[in-house]
Amino acid sequence: MSRRDFLLRAGGTAIAVPSLAAILAACQKPGTAPPGDGSSTAVGEIPIANPNNPVLLPMVGEPIAASTPIETDGVLQVYNWDAYFYKKVLKAFEDEYGVKVEWTTFNNMEEGIQKLVAGQVTADVFFPTTDYIRRLVATDKLQPLQHELLPNLPANVWPVFSDPGPWYDLEARYTVPYVIYTTGVAYRRDRVEDAQAAELGYDAFFDPSFKDSVAYYDSYRDALGMMLLRNGVTDPDSTDPAAIGAAKDAILEMINDNGARLAINGTYVKLSEGEVTVSQSWSGDIVGAKYYLPKGTSEDVLGYWYPDDKKGLIGNDTITIPANAPHPRLAHEFLNFFLDEKWGYMNFADWNGYQPPFTSIDPDRLIADGVVAPALAKAVVSEEDFKQGYIQSELTPEADQIWLDAWNEIQAGG
Amino acid sequence: MDYPRWYWPAFTATGLIWLVVFFVLPFYVVVSVAFGTVDPFFRTPLPVYQPWWWSFTTFTATLQKFGAGGIYFDPLVRTLQYVVAASAICLVIGYAVAYYTARFAGKRKGLILVLLVAPFWISYLMRIYAWQSLLQPDGYINDFLGIFRIAPVEWLAGKPITVILGLVYGYIPFMILPLFGSLDRINQNLLEAGRDLGASPFQTFRRVTLPLSKPAILAGLVIVSLPMFGDYFTNNLLGTTTTSMYGNLLDNAVGQSGQGPELGSLTLILVALVMIPMLYYLRATKRAAERRT
Repeated sequence: MSRRDFLLRAGGTAIAVPSLAAILAACQKPGTAPPGDGSSTAVGEIPIANPNNPVLLPMVGEPIAASTPIETDGVLQVYNWDAYFYKKVLKAFEDEYGVKVEWTTFNNMEEGIQKLVAGQVTADVFFPTTDYIRRLVATDKLQPLQHELLPNLPANVWPVFSDPGPWYDLEARYTVPYVIYTTGVAYRRDRVEDAQAAELGYDAFFDPSFKDSVAYYDSYRDALGMMLLRNGVTDPDSTDPAAIGAAKDAILEMINDNGARLAINGTYVKLSEGEVTVSQSWSGDIVGAKYYLPKGTSEDVLGYWYPDDKKGLIGNDTITIPANAPHPRLAHEFLNFFLDEKWGYMNFADWNGYQPPFTSIDPDRLIADGVVAPALAKAVVSEEDFKQGYIQSELTPEADQIWLDAWNEIQAGG
Repeated sequence: MDYPRWYWPAFTATGLIWLVVFFVLPFYVVVSVAFGTVDPFFRTPLPVYQPWWWSFTTFTATLQKFGAGGIYFDPLVRTLQYVVAASAICLVIGYAVAYYTARFAGKRKGLILVLLVAPFWISYLMRIYAWQSLLQPDGYINDFLGIFRIAPVEWLAGKPITVILGLVYGYIPFMILPLFGSLDRINQNLLEAGRDLGASPFQTFRRVTLPLSKPAILAGLVIVSLPMFGDYFTNNLLGTTTTSMYGNLLDNAVGQSGQGPELGSLTLILVALVMIPMLYYLRATKRAAERRT
């Protein structure tokens, strides 16, 4: 049990208490008022983005002037997932700019969004998932980026993220990419042959030879999404109750018949420690898993399967600057810093395991340099993969409820 | 001296303020969340504080999920089973320990009590983590069983017994302490009188000690079972989804978008559920008090 799990569990219990603002706002019937201060763009005017329908988000306000001086007073507030940074890189940023960085963490996106939107957390830099970008912009929570201050974006990052810009934010008006990942099957190579893992694919979770030795993500979109693909449904945002129901039944089957356990640390802790043999895994988790191996265990025991035709789940996280950031200029420097080849690479290679979408990263070199073990070659993400892979995007509230109902049934023990 | 009429009641003010600030107001917020709505964008809970705007659709829908065939039926039944089993085990073990400590521990009484309280020096979460490593497939428990040629048991793979024992472990001190307090206060003369009147040691226990400790038994049962109903971390750490309890339903809903009203409804239903043993306790102690006077 690592510190990371401890925080995850302890923090996961934090319950939201309505803020004073929410109480005052109760003078009007909640849910009927336009969001924000009334001047916001109605969210209905911005369509839900997905890879087939890229969206150009409206400009809310102006980017800061490129000539704005760097704020060196106070503390840069960074709001990110727990354990998603290499502390040494943060330290390097502090040293370079002579500032302090305070890192506030959240354990799941809902918690992160809730605290930011309610004003409980004021951040200079925020790391949302792509499905929240539209809503954050529509409620005036993000500020447009000043691209003159982000030279590393066009210089170092895959063109798709700057020109034309990603599907969720054409022209990269509000976001820069943080890291990219695929979702596949991690396994112990000391117990499973590569060929067997490749042949089984997603069915590894159901294979009786791994009974009681299977871990699966405790995260509804990833969990149900992978089973949709396994069942031959190629829309990872399916709103078909029958398809979602079948994915749910598949997860219940792996739990009830094959002793699968739901856990967010199934790969980097349970697989590393040998507690499980196969686990659902983000590519970054299996690449970073070597840091969790017991002493004396070779990293060759770690294996990762992702479909050869690259038709699997794929995605990326983003970095943004909230509209009310107290240090917007310094925040731009921070974004640019993480897109810097040296520091972005160090964050990935020496700690995080999650790969930044840099043009300079050559899969063969990653393996030659020992950043990624040869057996984990499939965990390296290439620009090409994004053309083949399935990306999950925002669901309508009605569709989301179908997913959540299925998930709650699994959580309740089926 | 003559005090004004408000003088003595005024002493309850601190308690009343405490109750209003830390119970009534938060409870009203829970009710307002349960009957409220969600933010149309982020689906975060939007409490509705005006009762005339309350909506009961989520509450009724949640309630229906507890019916036979509903998705919350199994966790509810499981919770009742686990809580009853764990409370019963707590009572049997706790009574024996308290009885020994009160009657036979002599000079070591203080030491035993300190040892009973000692686990509280370490957070419950930490102690459950310790159990987690003891119960691993290759942990010490299985090593020990191996001595007797018992095959390793997958204790953490969703075994009800593991969760029940986890609950017993976590809550048993709360059973022992009130029992000890009561047994320790029983007048020795009453026991001697029982023996003098010809009762065997067992009869003395059954007809003197047990009835005198009944209020403490009830208090102990209430104290251990009420928090068990809302306990989620024992199962989070020692069980799986197949041993999900009521508390886990709450815990899951906390991390999901748009589930505020459902979470509030689950809380209200749980409150109603734990009111049943609580009311029984209040009635039983009231009757006992009446008998004494």
